[in-house]
Amino acid sequence: MKKILSLVLALCMMLCMASAAMAEGTYELALVTDIGTIDDKSFNQGSWEGLVQYATENNISHKYYQPAEKSTDAYLDSIALAVEGGAKVVVTPGYLFAEPIYLAQDMYPDVHFILIDGTPASADGDTRTNANVAPVIYAEQAVGYLAGYAAVKEGYTKLGFMGGMAVPAVVKYGYGFVQGAEDAAKDLGLAEISLNYHYTGNFDATPENQAMAAAWYNDGIEIIFACGGAVGNSVMAAAEAANGKVIGVDVDQSSESESVVISAMKGLSASVYQILTAYYEGSFPGGETILMDHTNNGVSLSMASSKLVNFTQADYDALFAKLGEISIPDDTTAASADQLPVEIVKVSLY
Amino acid sequence: MDTVYFLIQQMMLFSIPLLIVALGGMFSERSGVVNIALEGIMVMGAFCSIFFINRMQNVLSGNLLLILAILVAAVSGMVFSLLHAYAAINMRADQTISGTALNMIAPAFAIYMARSLQANGVQQIPFNNTFRIKSVPLLGDIPVIGPLFFQNTYITTYLGVIILLISAFVLYRTKFGLRLRACGEHPQAADSVGVNVYRIRYAGVAISGALGGLGGLVFVVPTSTNFNATVAGYGFLALAVLIFGQWKPMRILFAAFFFGLMKTIAASYSGLSFLKNLPIPSNVYKMIPYIATLIVLAFTSKNSQAPRASGVPYDKGSR
Repeated sequence: MKKILSLVLALCMMLCMASAAMAEGTYELALVTDIGTIDDKSFNQGSWEGLVQYATENNISHKYYQPAEKSTDAYLDSIALAVEGGAKVVVTPGYLFAEPIYLAQDMYPDVHFILIDGTPASADGDTRTNANVAPVIYAEQAVGYLAGYAAVKEGYTKLGFMGGMAVPAVVKYGYGFVQGAEDAAKDLGLAEISLNYHYTGNFDATPENQAMAAAWYNDGIEIIFACGGAVGNSVMAAAEAANGKVIGVDVDQSSESESVVISAMKGLSASVYQILTAYYEGSFPGGETILMDHTNNGVSLSMASSKLVNFTQADYDALFAKLGEISIPDDTTAASADQLPVEIVKVSLY
Repeated sequence: MDTVYFLIQQMMLFSIPLLIVALGGMFSERSGVVNIALEGIMVMGAFCSIFFINRMQNVLSGNLLLILAILVAAVSGMVFSLLHAYAAINMRADQTISGTALNMIAPAFAIYMARSLQANGVQQIPFNNTFRIKSVPLLGDIPVIGPLFFQNTYITTYLGVIILLISAFVLYRTKFGLRLRACGEHPQAADSVGVNVYRIRYAGVAISGALGGLGGLVFVVPTSTNFNATVAGYGFLALAVLIFGQWKPMRILFAAFFFGLMKTIAASYSGLSFLKNLPIPSNVYKMIPYIATLIVLAFTSKNSQAPRASGVPYDKGSR
């Protein structure tokens, strides 16, 4: 009896799944999330918003897929699911997709991929970008530079940088931040800027991160560039307790806490939107890496919600216009932040 | 001196949630039910109470809201822990497995509910921290003691101390405490003199649920500006504090302070001028909590005494 029952149940389940698959229909645009979710207030969310914006404006079916775990196989499974679901364009945010996309570009030559924050690379370091892949990377160092310049221009001389894991995007933010502080100090004729620099090694809100930020504020640090997802929430908690200030990251974080005076933003949704537009116009920019910087809405500060007084919109516009001429270090310039070629800014690495 | 004040104030943010949750674990284990579901219970308590704060913060603020949230956290933790109690006591299930099940379902539940209940459909629940006490009236002005214990603090810190005192009293000075300990050591003997083992164990787990849920709230409030369905493994750390504290309230207090202080030093050395100027590599500071724990455990674990019947389901028939 039990056997028959379990057999019936198993059949039911299979039927359910089959009918669910049939009922689902197809989705032309798909997004496969990285670790984190579509509401991570960072690259997953930004990319998804760009996709949704384009899809709703043009009435195109869309859906997101969340891999079961953080591994190349699981990512490939989700991509396969998206392709089976009828996806013509798959958006994959996050540098962890470098290897899955490297493999998928050959497996699904008819499907187009948009890879945010990375370029296709195999596990053994081979890089190749097929015509059906559009990798997008950002000039984080430029917006980090803007943030560093703004902080010093505002009058802060004791700065902090608290990054998440030392992945290229975070490192570029940090190095740009250091250089921006240096140049602002030079322009203002300041003698010394001190800068605490640290990678927490995670992207979470933990008491450890809060304690470190609190200790920095207690030690006299006036403003911290919190650059690692939920790490920012710990820094904000510490800032609220100590009347410190915070610079937000990736998206405008001013709504998260009163302590956020400005945010260093990447144009995530803008880039997805632009590339999708190009795809439907028949000019998919595949095959080579697309750099999003100050020339194409790739980077900006959240001046609309700025709480800075001495760093005005005019200052920002003037600085922004000069970005093309300034040399800003990126993650390949130095092995660690204290080896950056700066003189006025004293970087203490922790 | 300011540095010392800062260290102690910061240490409380680590130690008090550990203390509360470990005391919760103590009640459960002393009654004979292993409770590794503390992590999940913390998540559940934090979720319900933070969501409550999120919804009520337009109407209420400050410590009245926090006190109501504390009640919400305790009740939700208690209700959630009853699942564990039912599985472990009535169904005589393996307590490790049912505890793990609770740990797995809690964050998933929190994410699912947060997304369904919030209008914007995100999983983070934001809240305004209006609960910080800059300085306790009168007490905060006392030299030395004031800055140490009565400035930049939360009422939950004092609540933690009160819970500790009550726990110690209940466990050693009341009839209920004696019965609870008996059920954890030798439930058959307790049963033979007319103690209802099932009821006592239910009470033990329920208390641990209430304290675990409360600990979740106490953990989240000072360390973030939103709740993202995680307490970063502090439920498991509380288990370590419980074992380190030998299932005894006062020792648990010392264990919690010890862990808290070590963690504070490791996390905040870069802002403490007397530490960062020493010619010691920063990695050494980061190792401190782990090395100190290893050393202390090496010396104390020999005398480790868990409640004897902890983890063994009680079956009346096999008396």
